[in-house]
Order: sequence, then structure tokens, then C-alpha cells
Amino acid sequence: MLFDAAADAMLLVDDTGHVVHANASALQMFDYVENEIVGLDVEALMPSLHRQSHQQYLEKYFNRPEKRPMGKGKNLVALRRDGRKLPVDIGLSPIQTQGQRFVLVTFHVTEKQAQVEESLRTNEERLRLAKLAAGLGIFDYDVKSGVLVCDERMREIEGLAIGDNMTIEQYVSRMHPQERPVAQATLDRATNPNGDGVYKLEYRLKSPPSGTERWVSSVGKVYFEDGEAVRMLGVVQDITEHKMLEKKLQAQRVEMESLAKQQVAIQTASAIAHEINQPLAAISAYSEVALFALGAGDLDTDRLRRSLEGCVTQSQRAGKSLHELLEFLQKGEVTLVPIDLNKVIQKALSITQHNGYGGFHATLDLEPDLPHVLANPLQLQKVLVNILRNGIEAVHNAGVPIAAINVMVRTQADSNMAQVTIQDNGPGLSNETAKRIFEPFFTTKSKGIGMGLAVSRALVEANGGQLWFDPESSTGATFHFTLPLAGT
Amino acid sequence: MNTAVATVFIIDDDPAVRDSLSMMIEQEGITVKAFESGQTFLEAYQQECRGCAVIDVRMPGMDGLQLQKEMVNRKVLLPIIFLTGHGDIPMSVGAIKLGAVDFLTKPITREKLLAAIRPALRESEKIIAQVASTEEAKSLLASLTEREHEVMALALAGFPNKEIARRLGISHRTVEIHKSKIMHKTGAINLLDLASIAHEGGFLA
Repeated sequence: MLFDAAADAMLLVDDTGHVVHANASALQMFDYVENEIVGLDVEALMPSLHRQSHQQYLEKYFNRPEKRPMGKGKNLVALRRDGRKLPVDIGLSPIQTQGQRFVLVTFHVTEKQAQVEESLRTNEERLRLAKLAAGLGIFDYDVKSGVLVCDERMREIEGLAIGDNMTIEQYVSRMHPQERPVAQATLDRATNPNGDGVYKLEYRLKSPPSGTERWVSSVGKVYFEDGEAVRMLGVVQDITEHKMLEKKLQAQRVEMESLAKQQVAIQTASAIAHEINQPLAAISAYSEVALFALGAGDLDTDRLRRSLEGCVTQSQRAGKSLHELLEFLQKGEVTLVPIDLNKVIQKALSITQHNGYGGFHATLDLEPDLPHVLANPLQLQKVLVNILRNGIEAVHNAGVPIAAINVMVRTQADSNMAQVTIQDNGPGLSNETAKRIFEPFFTTKSKGIGMGLAVSRALVEANGGQLWFDPESSTGATFHFTLPLAGT
Repeated sequence: MNTAVATVFIIDDDPAVRDSLSMMIEQEGITVKAFESGQTFLEAYQQECRGCAVIDVRMPGMDGLQLQKEMVNRKVLLPIIFLTGHGDIPMSVGAIKLGAVDFLTKPITREKLLAAIRPALRESEKIIAQVASTEEAKSLLASLTEREHEVMALALAGFPNKEIARRLGISHRTVEIHKSKIMHKTGAINLLDLASIAHEGGFLA
């Protein structure tokens, strides 16, 4: 029979709207077997949206039966048994036999529509895979009714029974009590018509009695109609593992920090031990020299004097080392006041000149009318003297006859900072040394405990600035430090 | 520097420690030379120097252990006594493996320091005597001709004169003449004595 052989899907429908016969293509298209589709009301084969008005159209058609396309110009859709919708063209042809009226309905899935359908299916598949890979759950929140329609993954994450949806109140009440106020506020803000309509929240679920804490990350977009929130579409993701990892990393960081602190403490103790032990070793030896001389009846007063003087000097040295260390280790309150940087620099230069670090030639390149900086004058002076002294000593040790120090001050308008640059004419620093100079207790000098630059950097930072060594500098060693301007 | 006199070389960056220890050792009638760094010591050192080195482990630049390695490299044969602020066991193990004779903690008493220095000085004399006898044996062996070397090698390997003659393709009499010359040149009184000289001089039979 031609009917069965036709490539297009065909249904024979009677005037009550029931299927009398369906060809093979129709069975395939709608995904029915023959005895299921025969006797079925055709309304079952169309989306619910169109069902209501269909009876009217049916009556109208049988009053004026003619061969014509159905619903011309409309995008018609056929509903498969699995709920999938197929865009189709539908043709109607009246057939009259033995006093009974029928209509032959022909469905044609157009090539273009088939392609659209195919690409739609591909996109849907891609989306499904992406969703699966990311473990995303999806929800659709109807603001008016307060109902949250969830997909399976969302139900799984939220711990709902299969097929269950929930109200927005239930959604919030599933969260950990501590999270609820924030969640409610975030929802209120997202659904506020004056806002951006974005919902973004990380929350803990109410802990199950046995299980571990579960974390969910949620992102949604709210749709507004006539200045009112009507709908929110969103995704949720289980981020429990991520949160656990974060927690673990945090714990490791804390442990590392405490180890580092311990290391500093050990270094400090070891530096103190060394600084005190050296003079003690000398004092002990000098004393034994004096005792031995006395015991041997050796009354060489020069030797006795030398050893006793050694004892005195070394005791003083031990005391001084202790004081210096304690001073460095003390972290007092820092009071910052507006000060004239240029004046402090000049003072530091004069202190350095008169402190026995030897003569040197200083070139000043100061910005006139420099605004005041905010700093602690004593600390700033200490930093300056320390850097100047280091430079001069390095130049002298390198055998350069005249030490020359160049100090330059500039303001950086963009960052509201003043920058001080101190450059000497010595040999500069090796890469190896440059890397380590700011480490506590690192020193290249035979005298000195290696705290100068470490402390200077700490002081500058306490004053809101930064101190660094310039590895690019072509001559000598160059240090820069910054301080905030007072007027900001 | 008078290299013939046994000397204690103090290498310590701390001037007060150098000064006080020098005075202490000098009171014992021992010659002392003090240096502020490993570099200055190595520059002043001569191969003939005898005595021992007292080295501070913790020094800026070349530290005590680096100095020890450098001394080993340069075949400086002085016994080494290390001074350390706080005895560090893994560090001292490494130093002793490289031949340090002692590891003393600062502050050090006169008694302990001298108890370390005295045997070190004796050790130095032994080393020097050893070096001298090696040098002597070497020069004795150097005076032998090539043929005499061959004869000595076979004799020390335990072959009788007849066998030596056969192997070298010379007469029994010639072997005897060579042997007598070898004994004369090295001053060895018998074969055992010759063996010990050959060993001393690094001659591998």
C-alpha cells in the first residue's frame, strides 16, 4: 500500500481527532508501535501548549474540508513519545469513505529543520557532557511561586530524593545555620530589580550526622520582567574537595611559618652564642696567661698588663654585642611624624663623618622644596647611617683611596613616595652576596653581626616604605629606599 | 719564616682570640704564628714548615673546613686542631675524616689546648720523618739503571738468580753483578731491607 511505503510520516485521523492508521515512517518518527498509536487522540502528539485550541481547529476543518497545509506560517512541532519536539511541516488532505470523514495528515521534517534539530541535539549533548565533567547541577527558580526546579545532579548535591523539587525556603534551610543569613541576603540582593541580578555564593550544607562537611558553590542569573524578579537560572557545584585541599594548604602554610620563625630563633640564639663566646674565649685565655705568669714568677709587667687589658676590652665587647642584639630584637611602637627628609640626610652624613668611619666625600642631589615625609626620625637616621657606613667600609676595604658617596632624593608623584638613592664608589656586590645581604646574620665583615641591613629593611617597612639593592647599578653598590609623603 | 722550628699556626679571624692564644702558647716556649684568614696563612705557608695548625671553624670568607680541604689539596701536611664555638657533631665527623687530629670547644683551657698541641707537634715530626725517608728511598731507587730495576723487580718477586738470568736472557754471573750493585747503591743489607726501601719509595714490583 502506497500509504505505508511513503517516506513522509502519515496519520489517518477520524473526525473525532483519533488516529485510525499510521504508516511506518510515522511510527518511527513518533517512536510508537502501531497498536499504541491507533486510537490515540492526536492531541497527545502535539505540545500541551497547542492542545486547548486544537478541538476548535478540528471542527472548523471538518466543516470546510480541503487539501491545505496546517497552521500556515507557524512553526509547528510534533511531540515524540520521549518528549522530544520535532519541527515539522504538516499537510492536511480530507478523505471521505462510506459516509465517514477522515483527514490524512502528512508530516514533513524539512531538511533545514532537521539540520537545526541535529545541531541543537549536538549542542545539548555538548552541554550535557560539560555539565557532567564539571559535576554541575542546574536549578530553575520561579520567584513568584518560590519553587526551585532541580536537575538530578542538583538533587544529588543537595541531598534531595529523586524527582523532588524544593521551595526557596527549603533551599536555604538545607544550609548550615551559620550560612543562612548570608545566603538570604545574597538572594535578596540578586532578586533586587535595582541590582545586577547576579547570585554568587559558596555555602556549607547542614552537616549530616555522620558525614563530613560539604561545600557548595553556586552561581545564578536573575531575570526581571516589568521591574520584578521572575526567574533565576543557576548552577551548583560540589566544592568540598577543593575546600578540604585549601584547608590543608592553609595548615601547611601555618606550619611552614612556624618553622621559619623557629629557624630565625635558632639563628638568633646561635648568633648571640657566637658573639658572646668569642670574647669569652679571649678573656679565658688572657686570664690564664696572667695566672701562669704569676705562678712562674714571671713579673714581666708588659705581658701582665696586656693580658689584663685584653680581659677588660673583651668583657666590654661582649656587653656591647649583647646590647646591640637586644636593640635590634626590640620592636617598639613606631611613631611617625612629618619630617624634612633632606635635613635628616644631612644629619646622618655628619654623624657618619664624625663617628670614626673615616673621611669620605659626599655628593648631595636633593630635590628642592621636597614635601615632608612621614617617618620616625631616629629610625630613619639609623637606616641612613647604617647604609652610609656599609658603603664607606666597603670602599675603604677595597683599597679605594677616597670614598665617595652620592645621595639622591626624588619624589615619585604617582605613588606619593619619596625615593632615596645611596651610591658608593666601591667594588659593588657579587651576585652571591647581593642575594643574601638582607638575611639576618649574614655578613661579609669580620666584625659585625650581620643584622644591619636586615634591621634597616624592617625599619623602612615599619615606616611604610621599601628598601632594596639595585643589581643593575654600573658603579659601586646602590641602595634605594622609599618613604610615604606626609601630605597624603 | 724559620721553617726549621716547629711552629703553631693559629688561624682565627678574631684578633683578641689570636692574641690571647698566641701569648698562652708562647709561654710554653713554643713558636706561634697567627693569621687572620685562611688565605693569608696559605700565602705564607712553605712546604718545609713544621708544626701544627689551630683553626677556627667559623670564619668569614674561607671557613675552617674549606681551609682544611684546601690544605689537603695543596698537600699541606700539618696536623689540624679545630676550634669551634659550639661542637657540631656532623661537621666534626667530616673534619676528622679529612685528618683533623682534634676538635676543641671555645673557650678553651690552657690544659686542653696544650694537651692537643703537644701530640700534634710530635705527629708533625713523624710525618716529616716519614716524608724524608720516602724522599730518600725515592732518590736511592732513582739511581738504579733500567736493567737493575728489572733485576730488582724479579728478585723481589722471589725468583732465584738462575730464573732471573733465564728470563732476562743474561748470564747467571751478570745477575749476580747487578744484584751486588743494587745492594750497594741502595745501601740495603739484605733482600728484606731492599723490599722495604722499594715499598717506601713507591716502587711497585
